[in-house]
Amino acid sequence: MRLAPSIPNHSPPISETNKPEKVCIEVHKLSLQLSGKPILHDVSFTIPSLGITSLIGPSGAGKSSLLRCLNRLYDDWKGNISMNNTPIKKWHGGADVLRQFVGLIAQKPSVFPVSIAENVTFGLPRQQRQQNQDELIQSCLKQAALWNEVKDRLHTPANTLSLGQQQRLCLARALALKPAILLLDEPTSSLDPLSKELIECSITKLAISMPIICVTHDLDQAARLQGQVVFMCDGKVIETGESHAFFTQPKRIETREFLRWSVCECAED
Amino acid sequence: MKALLILLALPAILLPTACLLYILYQALPALNWSLIAGSDTANISNMSSAGQALWHQISGSLLLMMLANILAAPLALSMAFFHALIASRQQKMILMTFLQVLQGIPPIVYGLCGLILLVHLLHWGISLATGAVILAIIILPLLSSNIIHALERIPAEQTEAAAALGMSKAAIVLRVWFPLAWTSMLTGLVLAMARSLSETAPILFTATVFSGIAWPDSLFSPVTSLQTHIFYLAQEGSNAQAIHVAWASAAVLLALVLLFSLTALFLRRYKESS
Repeated sequence: MRLAPSIPNHSPPISETNKPEKVCIEVHKLSLQLSGKPILHDVSFTIPSLGITSLIGPSGAGKSSLLRCLNRLYDDWKGNISMNNTPIKKWHGGADVLRQFVGLIAQKPSVFPVSIAENVTFGLPRQQRQQNQDELIQSCLKQAALWNEVKDRLHTPANTLSLGQQQRLCLARALALKPAILLLDEPTSSLDPLSKELIECSITKLAISMPIICVTHDLDQAARLQGQVVFMCDGKVIETGESHAFFTQPKRIETREFLRWSVCECAED
Repeated sequence: MKALLILLALPAILLPTACLLYILYQALPALNWSLIAGSDTANISNMSSAGQALWHQISGSLLLMMLANILAAPLALSMAFFHALIASRQQKMILMTFLQVLQGIPPIVYGLCGLILLVHLLHWGISLATGAVILAIIILPLLSSNIIHALERIPAEQTEAAAALGMSKAAIVLRVWFPLAWTSMLTGLVLAMARSLSETAPILFTATVFSGIAWPDSLFSPVTSLQTHIFYLAQEGSNAQAIHVAWASAAVLLALVLLFSLTALFLRRYKESS
């Protein structure tokens, strides 16, 4: 049993100038119930304006639900979520416009039954879809580390791709909307090691220019991605901290127990 | 145990097959092209609608079926989209229970309502419009349920992926739901068509007459139909020729219903294979 996961060195280090400084997302006393069952209780934390924030915790901790509150796929919550000091409930243009600003990649890749190229532009408004978007498609597929594998078959159905390629296509599709924030819900949990590495590389590159929140069960991955770690259990935030310090010197006993056993045993305060 | 199960299961296939074969056996002597399309029916003119061939009954049945489905389809689509987009969990439960109860109501009850409300009170008379409205009401719960189930089969991940891209509900319906569910919805529509072709009691006293109608003059004119034609002919038990034509009509009706059911089956297979 190890206390801290190993930290490999393949991810590009975030330079000093790119280090998170400005607060971008602020979650304050967020509570959520789904079908009468409490999911989140008084969750409060802040997400830096750049870099990766890994949300870790046991199953049922409320991590994925929290992501879906951030882009208002779950909209019936109490408390406040602000992005650049604007409460997202009062977002100009409503939830649909907010979701173009906040991209979400789900755990299971879900491509639409159209071609690879059409999948990339699927979320664009009609006028933009009708224009030539070859450059955008190429740029997004490159950012998602998929271009080299699909450049010769952009017009073949997207469901002919492997699972790992489909997940990278979902990333490219989200990037085509030029989001300011990316939410990733266990994006590599069902993928092979190579696909996992390619996606992690893309994420770390993207994190240089935007905040990324990544739910993961893989503590090694959270350490590899660096940045901030938020540990959740039973719908509450137990501890937050910078990745290295979090894994080497956890402050809370629950965190230490989780890291030791990867099992949450939330002790009552 | 296996033998017992086979023994109990066999009648479910054998009995309808025996009925089908018997209908074909009885129908074949009378079944010919001239009976359906045309001219050689003078000898049974007193039984098959004053010299008309079965073509007029076939077209009357198809006309009733098409009008009923044209009326029911937009309402069923609206109900299915209300269920999928707007209804709360409790409302969905109430709606599905209500649709199941409606499907259990005997069609003759709807026919009676049509006779009292539309034929007598609203003075629509025994007409194509009355029959189509009553048939539409009868198939509406079935069609709504079919479309609701077609929409429920769309993977939730696809809807969430589209919503996460900031697509509006209308865009999700048009660009994600319709392409994924159109074959299932069409299958539901074709099954509803088959059901409306099978109904006899509700149109017996709201839409059809025995003879004298080749093609309705307007929506408020009566029609002839295959279903009720069989009923009228079967009442002529002493007339062997009439009974033969009744068997032939039954075979034609079966062929039509089978055609729609097989189309639905083909669409389902097409959907599964794609």
